[in-house]
Amino acid sequence: MAGFIVRPTHEHALLDLGELWRFRHLFTVLVWRTLKVRYQQTAIGIAWAVLQPLLLAFVFTVIFGLLVQMPTDRGQPYPVFTLSGLLVWQFVAQSFQQATGSVVANSHLVTRIYFPRLLLPLAAITAALFDLLCVLGLMAVFMAWYGVAPSIGVLCFVPAVLLAAITVLGLALWLGALYVPYRDVGHLLPFMTQIWMFICPVFYPLFLLPPKYTLIYALNPIVVSVQTSRWAFAGGEPPALSMVAVSCAVAALLLVSGLWFFRRHEGRFADLV
Amino acid sequence: MSAPALRVSGLGKQYAVNELRHTGTLGARLWSIVRPPPENPALPRSIWALQDVSFEVAPGEVFGVIGRNGSGKSTLLKILARITVPSAGQAELAGRVGALLEVGTGFHPDLSGRENILLSGAILGMTPAEIRAKESAIIEFSGVGRFIDTPVKHYSSGMFMRLAFAVSAHLLCEIMLVDEVLAVGDTGFQEKCKAKIAEVAQAGGTVIFTSHDMAAVERLCRRVLVLSEGRVAYLGEAKAGIAEYWKRVLA
Repeated sequence: MAGFIVRPTHEHALLDLGELWRFRHLFTVLVWRTLKVRYQQTAIGIAWAVLQPLLLAFVFTVIFGLLVQMPTDRGQPYPVFTLSGLLVWQFVAQSFQQATGSVVANSHLVTRIYFPRLLLPLAAITAALFDLLCVLGLMAVFMAWYGVAPSIGVLCFVPAVLLAAITVLGLALWLGALYVPYRDVGHLLPFMTQIWMFICPVFYPLFLLPPKYTLIYALNPIVVSVQTSRWAFAGGEPPALSMVAVSCAVAALLLVSGLWFFRRHEGRFADLV
Repeated sequence: MSAPALRVSGLGKQYAVNELRHTGTLGARLWSIVRPPPENPALPRSIWALQDVSFEVAPGEVFGVIGRNGSGKSTLLKILARITVPSAGQAELAGRVGALLEVGTGFHPDLSGRENILLSGAILGMTPAEIRAKESAIIEFSGVGRFIDTPVKHYSSGMFMRLAFAVSAHLLCEIMLVDEVLAVGDTGFQEKCKAKIAEVAQAGGTVIFTSHDMAAVERLCRRVLVLSEGRVAYLGEAKAGIAEYWKRVLA
């Protein structure tokens, strides 16, 4: 029998993989519910996942490509250039907002039933991955249209998305736990997301930045993720290895500290939410 | 006597009054460092919603927890269900715990009845295979019939409650926590619920349940715990416990 003891303070393992595995069915169902509810009762359904980045790419192309005459890494067509950035960025923006709000949004579950609370941000990020897959299809259409071939960087795309997901999870664990007692986070969230996009090379090329600042710039791991995507699908340059190292270190630090903070506070979510 | 299914010793739960007032904005917190708010002597800084509660429940027993509103019944069940951590003491639970704290937990209005059975079953810890095996029994028990593929937001509140309880009643666990569900539905449905509780106990399961329906408590439980202001007022035979309850309610 799977017995257990309830005590005031648990031994806070950073991550209880055995328990997460026991709740794997709930995880699957949470992801399925998120996707099902998001696109149910909409006229065009899952097409929204593609339409949003498509419209953004169009707006960016008009403003930055045509009006500002923004340069691109190797002079590749601006729409392909910016969509390769939006591919990663849309995933980051969506998963960051959903994962950070996940505990509060599911307060009806948190106050009534036990499960590892970590499942909530994890499910939000996983659901956002499905949208990323859809946008990948749009990326292929753009590449075919503008005659851009994928590079060897394609092999690094999955690790780059993983890096982005880890960064988002780490941040969402911190902010998601803070969101429970402090609803201020809800007001900050859209604003933070907006600022975050400006410090990622989504609509401008990485080389515009003075070279001596690139390592500081790489403190934001999404920079490396975006640059890898651009290298893979839009004929861009690969990110420098030193930048990759800095980004991976930051992402790992965010994840470990986020898990620690979240685990420390999850026992009292139900009292505060 | 065999090993208890549930052993609670010295359990307590303390709430800071500030938390209950929901004034915890980050700004207020920072401001209070600069200028601490005046102490209100009429308001205690914290209250014990539950204090020094100890009892044991044997496997196969239906155990009642009764008391007035605010006596700590729901807090006790929330701790046993691991929804919130206790501030003192501990509880040992031997087996899978199924909490039925409020019916409809996890139901999503936009999903159909059938989809909500899957969702709700997973939330209560069942595997998809277990849920599929019980699906027709759940639909039968709920009496929702042909509306099972309609989104539950179009259900009447009675249908919604019945389907929600039907899922919970079919979950597989050794210890079942039931909070006030007997207040749901018409008399016929309530009878079904009571029969289900007795059935779980007969199959060797342990049921901890709270209710204000003393007739049901007397019929289902051999022993009860009476709580008053978070403390144990009585622990023992159901009949004497119910007398104690009435004394406190009418006082």
